[in-house]
Amino acid sequence: MTTAPILEVRGLSARYGEVVALRDAELTMREGEFVAVLGPNGAGKSTLMRSIIGLANATGTVRFRGAALKRDPAAVAAAGIALVPEGRGIFGPMSVAENLQLGAYMIGGRGPDYERRLARVLHLFPRLKERLDQVAGSMSGGEQQMLAVGRALMADPKLILLDEPSLGLAPKVTAEILESLALLNREGLSVLLVEQKAPLALKLAGRAYVVSNGRISAEIDPKEITSHGDLARYYFA
Amino acid sequence: MLDPVFLAQTILNGLSVGCIYGLIGIGFCVIYNASGIVNFAQGAFVMMGGMITHVLMQQHLPLIPSALLAIIVVALAGVVIERIVVRPLWDRKATMFVMILATLAAQIVIERLTLMLVGDQPKSIAVFTDLPPIKLAGVAIGYQTLWIMGTSLVLIAALGLFFQKTLVGRAMRACAINREAAALQGIVVSRMLAMSFALSAALGAIAGILVTPTQFTAFNVGTPFAISGFIAAIVGGFGRPFGAFLGGLLLGLAQALAVFGLGSGLKNMAALSVLLIFLFLRPSGILGSAK
Ligand SMILES: Nc1ncnc2c1ncn2[C@@H]1O[C@H](COP(=O)(O)OP(=O)(O)O)[C@@H](O)[C@H]1O
Ligand SMILES: [Mg+2]
Repeated sequence: MTTAPILEVRGLSARYGEVVALRDAELTMREGEFVAVLGPNGAGKSTLMRSIIGLANATGTVRFRGAALKRDPAAVAAAGIALVPEGRGIFGPMSVAENLQLGAYMIGGRGPDYERRLARVLHLFPRLKERLDQVAGSMSGGEQQMLAVGRALMADPKLILLDEPSLGLAPKVTAEILESLALLNREGLSVLLVEQKAPLALKLAGRAYVVSNGRISAEIDPKEITSHGDLARYYFA
Repeated sequence: MLDPVFLAQTILNGLSVGCIYGLIGIGFCVIYNASGIVNFAQGAFVMMGGMITHVLMQQHLPLIPSALLAIIVVALAGVVIERIVVRPLWDRKATMFVMILATLAAQIVIERLTLMLVGDQPKSIAVFTDLPPIKLAGVAIGYQTLWIMGTSLVLIAALGLFFQKTLVGRAMRACAINREAAALQGIVVSRMLAMSFALSAALGAIAGILVTPTQFTAFNVGTPFAISGFIAAIVGGFGRPFGAFLGGLLLGLAQALAVFGLGSGLKNMAALSVLLIFLFLRPSGILGSAK
């Protein structure tokens, strides 16, 4: 069964000054999909995420549930897309609780809806529950990443974009975070996951795009990838 | 011969004017935190606060409504400056240098407009409580000093609550920490910028209203106040509102003691010495830099 498209990226290009970091990216996601974006360091994966969300200096169109998105991160957030940025972007000097509350800024950071979302996030990441009053920047990298994901979920997004959440984390913590993503996906959340560690992402994703040299160079079906050799063929195509 | 009563009096007066510098310094920090801009129009807000209150009281409006009205008008002026001067440059991704110059230009425009409207004669406001000073062990504590210190402390507490406890205050702090991450939460960063200008302008206006009865106001008092507030902010660790207040107290004290010990010609030298000492020995300020 194919569902309606949730995200349609057409002819998306972005540059940093003279350097073109993303060229004519085309990408489509359907409601409820878990899609991975793979590719080597410097390929343009983060630029792709930032262009979708309106943070990069990009041209082209991005449609979310059929409607064109404005190139304005706050408006994109209001439409129902959350980005867990590369490097997490947590508010380090603030407490864990404050970080989570700011995730629900758009509903005023209080009320029954807020309490429901908070309970759900703390259920998903019980470690955050023990650390609500702790200064976020003083937590371990894994806990900070959980906070970054939890904060994004506080907005109750329909689509979540994650930019290398495994960066610098122990395999065990990475597995924990990725499992929670799989769970959320089964509950209906659409997930677009950028990951350099392809085997990890391919275990979860229903489909994957490969980015290299600023282009989306391939679209792959994880079921067809059985060996490292298969993947290398896409990377270096 | 050192006169302890006179010394105590000097310290008191220094702390009093230091509160004013502190409030202005906080204004610098609030805008800087929201935007990374050093707003040199801050002094104009101080001047406008005192001047508008003076003008309204001339029209026989009592002090409190005059002051409230002045604060509101100045806060709106802050938003207008943000809208017509800062925002267009910001949207065009102008360099910090250009934006600082633009705020300086706004300051000059406001000064000249004031000169055209009210002339160049110094103006004042009557003291809020017209009673002889309280004598405490020979030290005269004027009611205006109490007004200045009391209002400052109340404002500091209120600002602390605002930034620590309210969602909007937290959102403003979030913008200061990481503007991009703040925008990802749906926080409209430009709205926070406008609010920071309103808040800073209101603080400047309050400082101006409080201090005017102890000296005077004129179209051109803004710049010296802006410089003092700027030094207070640097001494406090730029971007740290509470630090800026401490910096203001330190600056007011240093100036008063310099005048006391060395003569009134050395007031500015004392201020700049405090600045240099901090720039050389502790560039991150009393509380350490915010970023
Ligand atoms: N802020 C920036 N300024 C200039 N060049 C940048 C900037 N960010 C990324 N780039 C360049 O754009 C290209 C793509 O970067 P990025 O999207 O971060 O890749 P990835 O996330 O796949 O590692 C790289 O060549 C990188 O050097
Ligand atoms: Mg990246």
